[in-house]
Amino acid sequence: MKIDPLFILTALLSLFKALPTTLIITVVSVSMGLIIGSAVALIRIYKVPVLHRIATAYVMFIRGTPMLMHLFLIYFGLPMLIDGISEAWGLPFQSNQIPLIGFVFISFSLTAGAYMSEVIRAGIIAVNRGQIEAAYSVGMTTAQALRRIVLPQALSVCLPNLSNSLIGMLHASTLAFAVSVVDINAQAQIVAANNWKFLESYIAAALLFWGMTVLIERATSRLEKRINNHNRGGVA
Amino acid sequence: MIKLTNISKSFGKHEVLHQINLTVEKGEVVVILGPSGSGKTTLLRCINYLEKPNEGQIEIGDFNLDYKQANKKDIHNLRQRSAMVFQHYNLFKHKTVLENVMEGLVVVQKFSTDEAKRKSIEMLEKVGLGTKLDAYPSQLSGGQQQRVGIARALALNPEVILFDEPTSALDPELVGEVLDVIRKIAKEGITMIVVTHEMGFARDVSNHVVFMDEGVIVEEGRPQDIFGAPKEERTKQFLKRITSEWAYSI
Repeated sequence: MKIDPLFILTALLSLFKALPTTLIITVVSVSMGLIIGSAVALIRIYKVPVLHRIATAYVMFIRGTPMLMHLFLIYFGLPMLIDGISEAWGLPFQSNQIPLIGFVFISFSLTAGAYMSEVIRAGIIAVNRGQIEAAYSVGMTTAQALRRIVLPQALSVCLPNLSNSLIGMLHASTLAFAVSVVDINAQAQIVAANNWKFLESYIAAALLFWGMTVLIERATSRLEKRINNHNRGGVA
Repeated sequence: MIKLTNISKSFGKHEVLHQINLTVEKGEVVVILGPSGSGKTTLLRCINYLEKPNEGQIEIGDFNLDYKQANKKDIHNLRQRSAMVFQHYNLFKHKTVLENVMEGLVVVQKFSTDEAKRKSIEMLEKVGLGTKLDAYPSQLSGGQQQRVGIARALALNPEVILFDEPTSALDPELVGEVLDVIRKIAKEGITMIVVTHEMGFARDVSNHVVFMDEGVIVEEGRPQDIFGAPKEERTKQFLKRITSEWAYSI
């Protein structure tokens, strides 16, 4: 069998069809992950009663089990739960009204949230205690101090790791095929099977993923420079 | 007027402050002296609620608070009545000099941006940093950073400014410029409580000296009395040791 370089291009063109799916899975899971992650990190740092135990258990469970497992647990478990509740309370809602991609959003957001919470927690802890004390001393409330002083500085600490998470979730979005959502990788498999050109299709998919990753790296390094403006000429 | 009554504070079993009573009149410059571990910094931090005393009351101007019963609103209220100048400056690292001073005015005291800017520039000019408005803290020397810290406190127009060893982290060469600024604002009649090891400065600037050791106020009074004729044995020892640094024989 010989490789057909031209088919890589053909495959690439047909992969673009699935690009929006991959992008939306990544964007939704990372932005939800950022929100969940920040909440979990703050709950754990401030040891909010009861909630911090739940948060710790959540992070432990998610990091202790594979991402594909989370997808299956949500995909098979959530409909049972929803239909059970609907039946018990006499609601008209049925789980089959949820689009397949909805399960992907929920499960990947939960996965991303657990991993990102640790990144954000590290960032917040890295901000010097003196910064929040100074914020208190000018009369800010804890919420104001966090929003205006601590979190912006924490962000500049965790940005490199957050870009890691973003790239990780972009690549992990390929698991969505397990519940029949057609992302780039799944599309490559379809193209490959239809034409019996597996290597070419997967090379095309790899190129597409690589290209997107390079874009993310570029964007974050630019953002990093802007956010770290205050460290130029930096001694302290 | 600031009045502290029966302030006690322990870290675990270790009692850092024991039943402290202190009154500071409006416009007074109070210097707190004492060996390390005597509780001076902790006392200062209690006034700004950066430490929570186990018991005691505080009165600042027309505001009263019992530390045992303080709720979030009281704490917030208390903090707005004082401003702190920190040993390690603690400037907001991600904000420029001007933004550092404006921050409290805009966010807490709800000044308009223009007004806050005008007032901040005025304060920064007063501490001699009118040309550094757009610099970040990391681009300044220690002495300059501390002067921004002073401008930040001054801009808030608090009832009292608390100085926590403001020159201890500085190069000896830079101590002078910071002390000069503090001297200058002391003359304006702003109430200040200063924890320091600069004896000469304490002597010139203060109206009232407090000597602390092991969590209690050992002696307090006018600077000429404390430095000239201390009554307590512990004060004499401390002053003798700290003012005769040149008397080492090697």
